[in-house]
Amino acid sequence: MDLISNLSLGFGVAFTVQNIFLCFIGCMIGTLVGVLPGVGPVATIAMLLPITFGLDPTGALIMLAGIYYGAQYGGSTTAILVNIPGEATAVVTTLDGHQMAKQGRAGAALGVAALGSFFAGCVATIFIAAMGAPLTKLAQLFGPAEYFSLMVMGLVFSTVLARGSIFKALLMVFLGLLLATVGTDLETGQERMTLGIQQLSDGVDFAPLAMGIFGFAEIIRNLENPEARDVVRGKIGKLMPSWAEIKQSVPPVLRGTFIGGLLGILPGNGAVLGPFASYTMEKKLAKDPSRFGKGAIEGVAGPEAANNAGAQTAFIPLLTLGIPPNAVMALMVGAMTIHGIIPGPQVMTKNPDLFWGMIASMWIGNAMLVIINLPLVGMWVKLLKVPYRLMFPAIMIFCCIGIYSINNSVQDVYFTAFFALLGYILIKLGFEPAPMLLGFVLGKLMEEKLRQSLILSRGSFMTFVERPVSGVLLAVAVIMLVIALLPSINKKRDAVFQE
Amino acid sequence: MKKIALAAAIAAIVAAPAFAQTYPNKAITMIVPFAAGGPTDIVARIVAEPMSRALGQTVIIENVAGAGGTTGITRGAGAAADGYTLMMGHMGTHGAAPALYPNLKYDPAKDFAPIGVAAGTPIIIVGKKDHPANNLKEFIEWAKKQGDKSNHAHAGIGSVSHSTGILLNSIMGTKPTFIPYTGTGPALNDMMSGQVDYMTDQIVNLVGQINAGTVKAFAIATAARSPALPNLPTTKEAGIDGYEVSAWNAVFAPKGTPADVVKKLEAALNSALDDAGAKKRLDDLGAVSPVGNDRGSIALQKLVETEVARWTPVLKAAMAASK
Amino acid sequence: MTDTDIPAPERSSARSYRLTEDIAAGLFLALIAAFFLWQAWDLPLGRLRAMGPGMLPVSIAAILGAGGLMLALAAFLKGGPILTTPHVRGLFFILGGIILFGLLIRTMGLIVAGPVAMIFGSFATSEVRPVEAVIFALVMTAFCILLFKYALGLPIPVVAFM
Repeated sequence: MDLISNLSLGFGVAFTVQNIFLCFIGCMIGTLVGVLPGVGPVATIAMLLPITFGLDPTGALIMLAGIYYGAQYGGSTTAILVNIPGEATAVVTTLDGHQMAKQGRAGAALGVAALGSFFAGCVATIFIAAMGAPLTKLAQLFGPAEYFSLMVMGLVFSTVLARGSIFKALLMVFLGLLLATVGTDLETGQERMTLGIQQLSDGVDFAPLAMGIFGFAEIIRNLENPEARDVVRGKIGKLMPSWAEIKQSVPPVLRGTFIGGLLGILPGNGAVLGPFASYTMEKKLAKDPSRFGKGAIEGVAGPEAANNAGAQTAFIPLLTLGIPPNAVMALMVGAMTIHGIIPGPQVMTKNPDLFWGMIASMWIGNAMLVIINLPLVGMWVKLLKVPYRLMFPAIMIFCCIGIYSINNSVQDVYFTAFFALLGYILIKLGFEPAPMLLGFVLGKLMEEKLRQSLILSRGSFMTFVERPVSGVLLAVAVIMLVIALLPSINKKRDAVFQE
Repeated sequence: MKKIALAAAIAAIVAAPAFAQTYPNKAITMIVPFAAGGPTDIVARIVAEPMSRALGQTVIIENVAGAGGTTGITRGAGAAADGYTLMMGHMGTHGAAPALYPNLKYDPAKDFAPIGVAAGTPIIIVGKKDHPANNLKEFIEWAKKQGDKSNHAHAGIGSVSHSTGILLNSIMGTKPTFIPYTGTGPALNDMMSGQVDYMTDQIVNLVGQINAGTVKAFAIATAARSPALPNLPTTKEAGIDGYEVSAWNAVFAPKGTPADVVKKLEAALNSALDDAGAKKRLDDLGAVSPVGNDRGSIALQKLVETEVARWTPVLKAAMAASK
Repeated sequence: MTDTDIPAPERSSARSYRLTEDIAAGLFLALIAAFFLWQAWDLPLGRLRAMGPGMLPVSIAAILGAGGLMLALAAFLKGGPILTTPHVRGLFFILGGIILFGLLIRTMGLIVAGPVAMIFGSFATSEVRPVEAVIFALVMTAFCILLFKYALGLPIPVVAFM
């Protein structure tokens, strides 16, 4: 079979001492920068580019790819331990992961995240190898109208993220959408609601927003309720997930891998939606959805698997179409061109050893990350024992440096302080930040795609229904919305009867 | 005695920086006004390495992204003119920006001490793969006939594909419907699936797609054909005069940088461009590094002046029309 | 309003007026929406064929504002948990610490910004032990300089005042 001969070619390339070593270094660095809030894989890969000049292209790309998925792993650690999502995809992990940590189950959360990601990574690797090329054609069916409908579906998901009132969650989504409209207008270049602040002409940045609204607002809230956090500190719990917890996590991991892997193929950064979709599905399928948001292990296992599967399959549009779906992949394009490889549909045929070597290295990288991360779980959990009066200033300084270093900008630091204030007010008022962040992430893409579709259709909204893929997605969104609203209506009735 | 010795020592320490002979005696920062990993960032990182060797001090890249690159350049223009802060400007920041940003806080031609051009990447006109036109002449006819029925993609206001696309339409005398994207990738994706008809962009983004036949190239906007695409005619050969554009990147220092420091930096940049490794990497990007008289401070100053003069009227007219 | 209308202090705290969480929440969102509407008012709305820059901000802000008012109204009729007082000490020292970091990082460098921000921030809790906080801040700053500047090679100013 072609697949086997291709994979053996790939493993032949990846299993050299040099490439395994580079993969290891990449994974180590990636884990480190993933754990540090703010310092993302983009900045790190850019800094390391010149260092890879001396390497052969395959080795260089294997190392850079290692940084990328290492950072995904590391990012989950920060999300679970200190409630700071380094990337949009880690937002979901904070919901139940951080709750688990607060209950003294950080070890279980980290362990399931690592094992779930490993499984998802393995499956996604095989998936890329077997189906990469044909699936590319599927991805080409996605034009602006399809992406818009997909985003609408994503917004419907967002209401499920809420622990409390769905109406308040919806309002948060709209607040997120509103924040996303700040910045230079896509079409006319006019500045919108920038208050004359130059930094805002490119819109609100994700990192200051997420770090302010999640990380710092959480710190202030913890300082407000010292009892709650000290109770947590008393019990640290096991380092590894129990057998029951693992069994509980298997179906979510399988489903998450499937959804995340599928969305990751889309060249328009569909991977962002993966964890959200997985979380929605798990909450809907659960016998007792009320556990979600309070430390349900399925809420960590599924989205983490989806995240890693999506991170992996995001290589498909890069390797088969030459189209980078996100900032890290765009950097990979740069790395490839610097090494004399022209990204595009011909990479697979012109540089088969690079193509298959990279795919094989993904599997090696995932295995390595489990080996690196499982022993680290113990260390991370011990870190939680540090008294909070020392812990929070440390988080603060890491966040400040991280935020500053993204754009070397002082304004970003001030924005973080502003969003910390906003986040704290919102928490005080009983709002939850996760739906807002999803609204913000989707909002940017949504407006772009909405306007592109309407320009292309010359103003006809029918384009969203007439195009088959888009129509199906919208229909799914409507059905989901109905299902989402039904139980809440029932529940309200129950509550009334109980009174 | 002791006092005199102490005074002398202090005087020596205070006076030391005045002997600028020692430049550079600490690391030099080069501001890249775009996010890490973009074409400008890559060019900067390629030349920074051999420049560091030539100067004997590390050239550190600092990415200060925002507002089409003008945020970073504004900061660099205001930095101390001691040769320790440099900028990697490009066609947008030092050519198109005055027309696109009415509140621009610097003058590309007056507020800098130009060091030299580092590289230029040629622009190519491409259409979707089943585009009815087979050469540039047919394409121009088609674009004229279609009017606003044709869809022209660009990667966002202020991007290279936006400015060069507007210039192309103004030369062809066509008024297509513009479809704005937030980057070359998504624009290219929609062109490959046939939703948009044509665009202009840098060779580095397109050469893989052209070779694979997923898009159709009409012409390259340079004086001579590119070795990467020897069969692609130049715009002049194919029938448009005056459409020779390239997305150039160049090193600038703040205005008032001492002449001897500029000389040193100019020499360092030239030796970087002659460095075999750097040259090969730039060639692989499809970039053209300058030779002979196109190098250095004077050539760059002239380039900035002609570019500002070229872009300002075209872009101002287009921006006014879109509002 | 006459003097007699002013309720006695004991009474005012409990019954006469209750600011519930959701009333405040709704009004806060309505306020944000109003601010955005004001800012986006002058932007052209455009048509569907070519949406103007103002179309989405204005319509989203309108929905948000209406939703906020609905939330407040429903809470006014239904009641709910009362708004609790904010943790001013935490807000002041945490936000102040971040802002101090921003003020000092480019002017003085990490070597000053780090300890100042951390020590100031440490006072956000009443459990603070000043000597410990100072030592910890110095050690952490040294660690951060090694980690960010030397291990990761980020262009962070360490000593900027020389």
